[in-house]
Amino acid sequence: MMHAWLKNLAKGIIRANPTFILLLGLCPTLAVSTSLDNAVGMTGAVLFVLFAANLIVSLLRNIIPERVRIPTFIVIIATLVTIVDLVLQGFSPALSKSLGIYIPLIVVNCIILGRAEAFASKNSVANSIADALGVGLGFGWAIFLISLIRQVLGTGALEIFGIHLFTIPGFSATPAAIFMLPMGAFLVIGLLLALFRWLGVIEGD
Amino acid sequence: MGKKGSEFFPVIFLTLVVLISVVALTFTDSITRERIGAAEEEEIREMLGEIFQAMNSFTYNEEEGLYSVLKGNETIGYAFRATGKGYGGDMSILVGIGDNFAVTGIELLSHQETPGLGAKIVEPSFQEQFVGLTVDEIALSQNGGKVDAITGATISSSAVVDTVRGALLEKLSLLKEGG
Repeated sequence: MMHAWLKNLAKGIIRANPTFILLLGLCPTLAVSTSLDNAVGMTGAVLFVLFAANLIVSLLRNIIPERVRIPTFIVIIATLVTIVDLVLQGFSPALSKSLGIYIPLIVVNCIILGRAEAFASKNSVANSIADALGVGLGFGWAIFLISLIRQVLGTGALEIFGIHLFTIPGFSATPAAIFMLPMGAFLVIGLLLALFRWLGVIEGD
Repeated sequence: MGKKGSEFFPVIFLTLVVLISVVALTFTDSITRERIGAAEEEEIREMLGEIFQAMNSFTYNEEEGLYSVLKGNETIGYAFRATGKGYGGDMSILVGIGDNFAVTGIELLSHQETPGLGAKIVEPSFQEQFVGLTVDEIALSQNGGKVDAITGATISSSAVVDTVRGALLEKLSLLKEGG
């Protein structure tokens, strides 16, 4: 029992990683992965929505009518996202401003709808929670890694929530600003995918 | 009332889900609304404070879109939001003017310029050029004004200049008319 639960948790982190293996929800990943602050904020928002959506869908899985299940999932997810959006605006305006449109867009993030449809609507509450945590953490470390690379190369320095970690001497004056642009995001994620495949973390066909 | 067999059960179910959602959102809105308003006002206050160091308080005239900046009971200047189009999208700038109608400072409220190039419009070295300029002097130096464009970001620079000048012209006619 515990073993199955842990397996469901671990699955999303590496083997079925939403970003690097399933390539789901790339739009927010590419757009906001410009700083570690954004990565942490986005992970928190996605983790909360994923957790709550999986929990609610799993609880209701036996009474949601088959024909209206997708609209039901979307209403549940949209409600949760709006709550996150309002709370962020009220309690962390700076983070809310920097994540901008990508918080409301979690509604259409296919990771969340995907887990509701593919997992939570067919599995027990405990397993759905494990699944949400695993997938959420999998998304989290992926966006954190991409943000780390883009922030260091794009600004020549690293800081998180105002705490300055390091500056690369000589590079920070004229950093590779391309990494802060959308094309930099594509470059980084593409090179990471190639690296993981080369290392054998991602299996080829 | 066969539950799953009923034609209407999906309709009733979805309606119920939406109703619960409405209740949850109304509740969230009621506890966050005040804080969101306060956070926005705090942001404006902070930015006005940057432009007018002597400010104690300010009032806002919604109809004219004009902030009156007060030191004690005396009006030391005005501020307003200027909006315009930049290279990457809309930009919104808070412009402060003194009682002689010259610019006392500008603060970028939001913009979507290219990071590393156009986004340099938020840097003090660019914004400080506006301090003390009258409306006729607000133009890029290549066009006879007193603002040097940022290298590699002429469009973003001229967008800021145009936005500030356009809004200033509009407010000046309002202020001078009102005496």
